[in-house]
Amino acid sequence: MSSDLIDISTRCIRCGFCLEACPTFTETGLETHSPRGRIYLARSADEGQASWTTVRKSIDSCLGCRACETACPSGVEYGRLLELARSRLERAEPDRHLARVLDWMTRPSLLRLSAALGGLLPGGEAPNPLGPGRTPVPRPQPRGDWPPYEGPVPKRGEVALLAGCAMDCLFARTHEASVRLLARVGLLARPLHGCCGALHAHNGFLDEGVRRAEALDPRGLPIVTDSAGCGGWLKEARGSKVKDLSEVLLDGGLDSDLGRCEPLRLRVAYHDACHLAHGQGIRAQPRALLAAIPGVELVPLAESDTCCGSAGIYNLREPEMANLLLDRKWRHIEATHADVVAAGNPGCLAWLQAAAQRSGSRIRVMHTSEILEAAFSGWSS
Amino acid sequence: MTASGQIGRELEAVLPKERIVADTAARRAYDSDAYPIDRHPPDAVVLPETTEEVSRLVRWCVEQSIPYTPRGAGTGLSGGAMAARGGIVISTKRLTRIFEVDAANRMMHAQSGVPNLRLSQAAAPFGLHFAPDPSSQSVCTLGGNIAENSGGPHTLKYGVTYPHILQVVLVDPSGEVWTIGSRSGRAPGPDFLSLIVGGEGTLGIVTEAWVRLTPTPQCVETALVAFPSVRQATECVSAIVSSGVIPAALEMMDKGIIGALRAAFGLQYPDGSEALLLVECDGNDPERIADELATVESISQANGALELRRAQSEAERKDLWKARKKGIGAMGRLAPSIVTHDGVIPRSRLPEMLDFVYQVAAEHDIGVANLFHAGDGNLHPCMYFDDRDPLQVEAVIAAGEAIIARCVELGGSVSGEHGIGVEKSTLLESMFGPDDMRLQRIAREIFNEGDLCNPCKVIPNQKGCVEHRRRSRGVAW
Ligand SMILES: Cc1cc2nc3c(=O)[nH]c(=O)nc-3n(C[C@H](O)[C@H](O)[C@H](O)COP(=O)(O)OP(=O)(O)OC[C@H]3O[C@@H](n4cnc5c(N)ncnc54)[C@H](O)[C@@H]3O)c2cc1C
Ligand code: SF4
Ligand code: SF4
Repeated sequence: MSSDLIDISTRCIRCGFCLEACPTFTETGLETHSPRGRIYLARSADEGQASWTTVRKSIDSCLGCRACETACPSGVEYGRLLELARSRLERAEPDRHLARVLDWMTRPSLLRLSAALGGLLPGGEAPNPLGPGRTPVPRPQPRGDWPPYEGPVPKRGEVALLAGCAMDCLFARTHEASVRLLARVGLLARPLHGCCGALHAHNGFLDEGVRRAEALDPRGLPIVTDSAGCGGWLKEARGSKVKDLSEVLLDGGLDSDLGRCEPLRLRVAYHDACHLAHGQGIRAQPRALLAAIPGVELVPLAESDTCCGSAGIYNLREPEMANLLLDRKWRHIEATHADVVAAGNPGCLAWLQAAAQRSGSRIRVMHTSEILEAAFSGWSS
Repeated sequence: MTASGQIGRELEAVLPKERIVADTAARRAYDSDAYPIDRHPPDAVVLPETTEEVSRLVRWCVEQSIPYTPRGAGTGLSGGAMAARGGIVISTKRLTRIFEVDAANRMMHAQSGVPNLRLSQAAAPFGLHFAPDPSSQSVCTLGGNIAENSGGPHTLKYGVTYPHILQVVLVDPSGEVWTIGSRSGRAPGPDFLSLIVGGEGTLGIVTEAWVRLTPTPQCVETALVAFPSVRQATECVSAIVSSGVIPAALEMMDKGIIGALRAAFGLQYPDGSEALLLVECDGNDPERIADELATVESISQANGALELRRAQSEAERKDLWKARKKGIGAMGRLAPSIVTHDGVIPRSRLPEMLDFVYQVAAEHDIGVANLFHAGDGNLHPCMYFDDRDPLQVEAVIAAGEAIIARCVELGGSVSGEHGIGVEKSTLLESMFGPDDMRLQRIAREIFNEGDLCNPCKVIPNQKGCVEHRRRSRGVAW
């Protein structure tokens, strides 16, 4: 992993192979909103040929989805470049308001409170703290919603499951499913509390992001996450002992257990969260697990690995582009006529949920874990 | 207000504001294409969505005497989409609609900013595809392909872009809209289409086209053969072609590429491999294709092949193609910048040409690796260097010119498929006599009076171009 912007930017040979992979480029047609343009401008600012202020719009408009990295033949580590560019930009033009909002968003207690209040607001929307207009507030899931656990007692080992800011607090039902699934492959999940720092690292506060990642104390246990954004960042900051839940479950042989479950007659469309597919190269594992459930039909989703627009706090900072991408994503999802759309990242789930509500669709939005656990514990409709 | 701010503001009378950009970042981002050693920023960039808008823009430029440059995806390798004299870049990246796939008549109607691969994807449900397949096909646009008359790995069997274009809608350099060519493939009168295809955007802007679609072959056989020397690989290519087999693709990679692939992706080839040959045969009769590949196999053995890998599945086929498709990208990991040259030579001269390329690169102390469309003698020496070092940039230009001059001496051509652009505009005269050049100039002047449309490309004919060359060409980062 390079810590020098110049080492990364000079790997770009300007071939343009990344352009069509970039959602902000395909929406606008603008070179300044393309990976190649952003790399060029970051390099220009870095080498003093342009000021960071003049390139700000180009860098701000980036989702950080890293689809460009998948497309690049030359191995440009774009995600890393963006982190470095944003932290240089933050140094050149500090944004104190953003710092405060990030601090507030990454405190589970405050997040839960505001979500609970937000649920009471008309239309489930609150004023956008980082941009114009109002923004949907996710409704927290109920806790203790699953029937009593009757699976095997976990004896194979222990892992530290990251509770993070959102998973345990807004997605309690999903997170409980993750705990139960780990038990089913013999692993006892110890909760790992604290903020991983991903939102900080991705938004200009790289040092703070690193500090938070390093402050997590898994007590020597391997870290597992059920949030793609956190997992991607922790892999970068803490290395190979970090795993996404789907990797651990498939390694543990959950697919064969799933194969013995009662059939679940469902058409499932799988949306690739950017920080799973592009950030961690995880595409096959969640699909293999879902497909192992008898009765589940995985239906192809067009542009499944194109960003839905949520992208951390991008939907707050750049609501217009985020909504364009959400509409595009939701159109593809509706075209599948699936019963459920599955994804492995809380940000995507909350954002897709808003689209489902807005369109009055009957398609349910669920974390992969929830569907997998439902195969064992029963489907509640 | 700066000149560019002024132009941006005035353009608002022609096009909605949100499709005009003229800020500092945009001007910088559009100052070059994939040819990294000749840059000039435009004053503004505009993104029209219809033919009518393009026509209005061009008329406005003519009225104001402002030069303009068409641009697609900017993957061109000869600086064609760079605004040599500033002015306006007219981008086709909002001309991205596919209007119609007429499967019964095997043709399709689309706007010029659609990426090449999307044409084939739209035709795929009908068992058809758009045959020209430049390696950049996932991004390069239909308009760019038409302008450069682009080829690709499958050009050997299916031809370059020209035979696949039926009709184009062209906004000429005065702003007038023309429909050129015919959907039936036959038009009376002079063949203007052949001027426009390959015109490098100096004869007007193509906004739409009807293209021919080709049935997608049902079976494909692919093999990758390693040879101990380029000479043996070349002799193998000649033997394959003279055996009557016409492979769909016949691509060669030299030891420079092999080394880059090894360094970047850990791809392994037999020890002592100096050249790789990728052979693909396609058609609808599985037995015939299997026979063809068997012929290729025995010819390869007779020519001293070290190893032959044959793809057994689609996944393996993609894997073999990696050597070709990822070759250039792999080189990006070796140095900050690359320039891919393009020349054509008679196939039999390949080995001596290659020796010459190595020698020139060594003399200039520049890293080089070579890719060829071996079937048609189209050579791509790819040089990697540090674009921050003025001496290296100069060396790359000098080495490129020496190589192209040698191609002409050996009875070849200055360009196979990447165009002349600004890169080779001074080399044309080494290939064409004064009469030829005069004819080309006349054609250009008839279409492009005043030379506002993509100035200084192909035939630089004004003072501003000399000025541009002096200031911008070969300037280090
Ligand atoms: C890695 C790599 C591999 C490549 N491989 C190949 C290959 O295998 N074969 C090959 O032939 N080329 C190849 N190229 C070169 C390039 O991709 C082609 O020339 C392509 O056709 C350019 O398309 P574009 O949309 O990027 O055009 P641009 O680069 O934007 O423009 C190219 C030229 O066309 C003009 N132009 C663009 N659109 C229009 C229009 N609508 N009307 C009029 N003029 C227009 C521009 O003014 C410019 O002169 C490769 C390039 C790269 C970077
Ligand atoms: S694909 Fe990679 S090397 Fe090519 S322009 Fe994009 S980032 Fe640069
Ligand atoms: S991270 Fe996503 S939005 Fe940003 S440049 Fe890459 S592909 Fe485009």
